[in-house]
Amino acid sequence: MGSLTIANITKTFGKTEVLKGINIDIADGEFLILVGPSGCGKSTLMNAIAGLEEVTSGQLFLAGEDVTKLSPKDRDIAMVFQSYALYPTMNVGRNISFGLEMRGMPKDARDAIVQEVASLLQIDHLLDRKPSQLSGGQRQRVAMGRALARSPRVYLFDEPLSNLDAKLRVEMRTEIKKLHKRLGTTIVYVTHDQIEAMTLADRIAVMKDGQVQQLGTPNEIYDDPANQFVAGFMGSPPMNFIPCRVSATGELLVETSNQSLRLAIPQQSTLVGHGLQEVILGLRPEMLTEPKPEKTGEWIVPLTMHFDVTEPMGADTIAIGEWNGVEVLARLSPEAGLAAGQHTPIQVNLSKSVLFHPTTGERIR
Amino acid sequence: MTDLQRCMGRLSIYLLLFAFALLYLMPLYVMVTTSLKDIEEIRQGNLLALPNAPSLYAWIKAWGSACTGSECQGLAPFFFNSVRIVVPAVLISTFIGALNGYVLAKWRFKGSELLFGALLFGCFIPFQVILLPMARLLALLGLANTVTGLVLVHVIYGVAFTTLFFRNFYVSVPTELVKAAQLDGANFFQIFRHIFLPISVPIFTVTVIWQFTQIWNDFLFGVVYSGPGTQPITVALNNLVNTSVGGKEYNVDMAAALIAALPTLVVYVLAGKYFVRGLTAGAVKG
Repeated sequence: MGSLTIANITKTFGKTEVLKGINIDIADGEFLILVGPSGCGKSTLMNAIAGLEEVTSGQLFLAGEDVTKLSPKDRDIAMVFQSYALYPTMNVGRNISFGLEMRGMPKDARDAIVQEVASLLQIDHLLDRKPSQLSGGQRQRVAMGRALARSPRVYLFDEPLSNLDAKLRVEMRTEIKKLHKRLGTTIVYVTHDQIEAMTLADRIAVMKDGQVQQLGTPNEIYDDPANQFVAGFMGSPPMNFIPCRVSATGELLVETSNQSLRLAIPQQSTLVGHGLQEVILGLRPEMLTEPKPEKTGEWIVPLTMHFDVTEPMGADTIAIGEWNGVEVLARLSPEAGLAAGQHTPIQVNLSKSVLFHPTTGERIR
Repeated sequence: MTDLQRCMGRLSIYLLLFAFALLYLMPLYVMVTTSLKDIEEIRQGNLLALPNAPSLYAWIKAWGSACTGSECQGLAPFFFNSVRIVVPAVLISTFIGALNGYVLAKWRFKGSELLFGALLFGCFIPFQVILLPMARLLALLGLANTVTGLVLVHVIYGVAFTTLFFRNFYVSVPTELVKAAQLDGANFFQIFRHIFLPISVPIFTVTVIWQFTQIWNDFLFGVVYSGPGTQPITVALNNLVNTSVGGKEYNVDMAAALIAALPTLVVYVLAGKYFVRGLTAGAVKG
């Protein structure tokens, strides 16, 4: 069993507080992703889970057992490193079996496991090679093989794909997901790539400045962000943030291309209750599209926009216009993208719009 | 630039290099030829001439029967004294340096940088400064005038250098290797033995050559801390050259000097390319 409980963990280096009280419950077999910008403390948290770094306070439970004070080798955790950290003088087979050797497993049993792991990862033909003779993708597989061989209770992945080229990264991503389905072992995975986070995770913990900003399923994080940071970090192209004045009745006032709009939004009544003069409207680019007559509803509003720039991406085209003096991205179909320019008719879907406090960035619900 | 100019440029570079090489090799040439001449031929004063009738007489005498002070046993017993001092001193100081370097590079603790700085200080202390305190220490330990005492002195003095070499080499080894091995269940010594020792061949070569040369060539410690039966070859060479029975035998002096210098020359010729390679060895790619 591999449930993992991180209870109020803090870590300070000198006077710098790197982790400010982290609380995460990870169920057995769950795939949890830690995501955040550089320096947010995600790698430190990972090292703390592995036992490579002592925590300043707080506790760590593995399957209900307190492992806070245990040394790394007694925690039954395996880790895949960003740099792979393969032992340079050992061949692939020995790299995979080293952990078993150190734990005193007899040679026959080790060899059997190496064979099994190698065929699972399709690296059986590489067992006699040294790490320096392998390509990046092959090294990545060996690093995973080394973790798999020990069949630990928890796997830790520290940005395992960031050293691979784009195509290989997508391939390995799928493979990791398959592997997790097949093994069903708990995985904690660190990345700064929000696409990796969205595609792989059962749940995502978005971190910033040593704190968990939000912990939830990919859909919750994407559609229901806790604050402006989370909303801006997840999603590509990023969410539009438009500062708007609020009318007495709670409508948002928007100036675009010589039009003055009063947008009615679902949160109108709560907004009046808050009594704010100004809010930040968060709107994903895919909520601004070419007019789709078949799609109508209370929160779908037609309007026209000036687009200065269009960026064709193949499947769709990103068009850049302006609302209330800030850049606004719309996601158009390629055909509509070709025609985009001055006075382009579009429709805006406000049903999923989110509002943030103009100074704190917290979500207004 | 025309081809001719390029060619002339090359030519002048090679000529200059050749001239300097010749200048450098001149003393060695004189030593070798003189050691093969007999004393009559030397007296004629043709320093650069090849020997008329090359003979190993001077070499045999220097090795087996030349007088070093009151005894006349040649350099042989002192040669083996040196071997008995150098081999353990090199091995022990290199091994301690490797462990020190491993700790200072990969197992940092509070004050480890300060300790490293203090160790480095040892590289810059002149030999003469520690002569008296060291003599006192050896006397206290009962090791004065013994081979063990000399080994101890050289180990202490060498550890500063060997630690510096190994520490700087191990700093370039990715720390993630240590972390990975820790998670694999290896302890402090297993990580050293299985991960670090196998990648250390270049730096071991450098350290061994360095220490061997330093200790074999040492004269000051050898002359101060040795007794009558434990003098190293450098001290014996000095005594041999300064002892004259009748006329000065330049051929024997030259042969003796060559015998004393030969081991370090051989080590450098055999392992020299590893020495250069080891000094420039960069990060270990995983």
